[in-house]
Amino acid sequence: MNKNIKIITKYWDVADLKKIKNYESFGGYKALHKFIKDKNSDKFADEIKNSSLLGRGGAGFPTGDKLEAVAGSGEKERYFICNLDESEPGTYKDRAIVDNDPHKLIEGIIILSLIIGARKAFIYINGNYGKQEEILENALEEAYKKKYWGEKILKSDYNLEIGIFSGAGAYICGEETALINSIEGSRGEPKMRPPYPTEKGLFGKPTLVNNAETISNISWIVIYGGEEYAKIGSKNSPGTKLFVLGGAVKKPGVYELPLGVTIRELIFEIGGGLAKGKEFWFAQIGGSSGRLIMEKELDAKLEFGNKDFSIGSGAILVVDKTTNIYDLLLSWTGFFRRESCGKCVPCREGTFRLWEIAKRLQDGEISEADKKAVKDILWTLENTTFCPFGKFAAAAFRDAVEKLKILK
Amino acid sequence: MPLERGRRIMCMNIRINNKIYEAREEETVLDVCRREGIRIPTLCAFSGLPKETVCRLCLVEINLTDKLVPSCAFQVCEKLEVTTESERINKARRINLELLWADHAGKCAGCRKNRMCELQNLAEEYKIENFHFVPRKEEITDVEERDLLKDNKSRVVIDNKNPAIFRTTEYCIECRRCINICPDKAFGFNHRAGDVVVGTPYEKTLDCSFCGKCVEVCPTAALTDQNDFGKIIKDLDNLKKMAVAVVDWEMEKGVLRQLKNMKSQKNFDDLLTELGFEKIINLSKEETKNEAIKNIKADYARKEKINPESIVIFFISNKIEKKANKDEYLDYILSEREIARLARDRKII
Repeated sequence: MNKNIKIITKYWDVADLKKIKNYESFGGYKALHKFIKDKNSDKFADEIKNSSLLGRGGAGFPTGDKLEAVAGSGEKERYFICNLDESEPGTYKDRAIVDNDPHKLIEGIIILSLIIGARKAFIYINGNYGKQEEILENALEEAYKKKYWGEKILKSDYNLEIGIFSGAGAYICGEETALINSIEGSRGEPKMRPPYPTEKGLFGKPTLVNNAETISNISWIVIYGGEEYAKIGSKNSPGTKLFVLGGAVKKPGVYELPLGVTIRELIFEIGGGLAKGKEFWFAQIGGSSGRLIMEKELDAKLEFGNKDFSIGSGAILVVDKTTNIYDLLLSWTGFFRRESCGKCVPCREGTFRLWEIAKRLQDGEISEADKKAVKDILWTLENTTFCPFGKFAAAAFRDAVEKLKILK
Repeated sequence: MPLERGRRIMCMNIRINNKIYEAREEETVLDVCRREGIRIPTLCAFSGLPKETVCRLCLVEINLTDKLVPSCAFQVCEKLEVTTESERINKARRINLELLWADHAGKCAGCRKNRMCELQNLAEEYKIENFHFVPRKEEITDVEERDLLKDNKSRVVIDNKNPAIFRTTEYCIECRRCINICPDKAFGFNHRAGDVVVGTPYEKTLDCSFCGKCVEVCPTAALTDQNDFGKIIKDLDNLKKMAVAVVDWEMEKGVLRQLKNMKSQKNFDDLLTELGFEKIINLSKEETKNEAIKNIKADYARKEKINPESIVIFFISNKIEKKANKDEYLDYILSEREIARLARDRKII
């Protein structure tokens, strides 16, 4: 496997790509020119489908399928939303994309919007990303002046309006139905599915919601073709992925690697291993909602569709043996207790009680009743909540109980 | 096939607990089960209101997925097989009930909704007696104070300033019935996660048309009728005063319904007499209470040589909006719920 192939980060260190001139000099907006020249949205929709690109937000849903559903809908009015509500703890890949290469994101947004026939696209950005919002505003202005979006894009008949919508920094608004609620002005909480956003999304119209990283792959696919893209990475989940390495490694940061790389390679080769004198304990894959991976499982591949763990947002936290697990537990449970939307009983009450117990664990006052309660709460979070948030909230705690034996 | 508004309604057979039942399209699993008398516990579902699926008690197993699905929102379809009772379902219901019950356990005896509370009934039905958690909702309004205590307490909002509806979030289970039923859209959510409280914008004192629908649908004691029971009981017991009940049209039915929920079959007139009302006037549909009250205060008082001042008029009606705007001569307004509460407190039922 060629680990050096780069799709998103290729020119990050070469030039200041925030300037549209620099971006164009490295082949920027060529994909859009190509699309406008062909004016064949079906062809490019097929290319994206052939690329087998999977959603990079965490769920790994095929982007081509979503795209097809919206593009093929009977409704005339459609919307496109770029999900930039990145709020998983330890994850800053989307922020890095905006910081380094905002135009790649914008180009992807324009192409995807035109493919599905949307006249209006939103960038839903985390409310804490003030600086990134500014970068995007400037980039959008530059692109607008060059007629890359607006009315009559590059003198064609295509029209597109792009707007930035700043959320309030709620974790749950990264979930697409909650995100849609938030743009509509309602409380940020998930909605019942079906209907899926691809049928009835924003303002009741078919809506395509894609993660910022997914969108950043689009211009490459348009230029080089879906089949080429499918050759990169592992068979079932092609392409590259941004991994955010953090914790007790020597070289933390954002790394672009083909999917299918093993956790061991990422931590010990790319990340340079652990600092001197520190001993590996476990790694958490996918932010606070991720599973814990022990030493013996390190050869597992980082790819979508893995049945033992989900790579989620791509954040990898390396934890060494000097860490106090109870502090970590309190941090996880505190996060979920704060970020639950409060809609359904098991999540609202369960995350609160789990946090309460984590506090007692830290104080060393855990009782037998608490141990039983932990079991019940984890079970109800995994099985009865309204949206997947409950499962996320339970994942790390569950592994801490089963793999690290914290309750013994 | 039945016709509804000129459109053919599709019918189908579904299996519930291994028995075949007929179901119509657009019906949910809960609709069919309610119709057929199959018991499924619910707290948020309420007929006519949007299906919120937030209480997670009506979960059932189906043959289409391994996951538990909320029966209140799951629409019937061909070849559907439903199981409403199993160890897994029971476990889910018990845990979720227990999580809610933590803030209610031990508070029933002094509660306004005692014996009239849906959560209490369910907790009894599912024998929730564990005390894994301490109550977290207590009246600590100051955020700083709460943080100082570090005692895992959540804030409680109490509104006793409005004339008709007493609100306390201490007993609120966030079922959303009041939010959905309110014609004035007076309620919504404030804050999120464990701090979520149902309340008015900016937590101002409730100021609405006081139709009382929210009090009617509230499953717990979060929303109850506002009244000075101490004063009412004093006036009812005062031998020097004559308590007159002016009973609104169709109120008898309402009160009897409340009694039935509390498993009592008491006769309406007996109940009022035992409560201490000395005269009962039943209004017909056309009669207005003002006329009736005037008759008593003027004609009746003169005839019986009673000082009109010592006649206390109780208007028994669900029109609790009148509490905000009381008419002349009218002393108290009691809703059907309050009559039941009075009867309960006085150990008549």
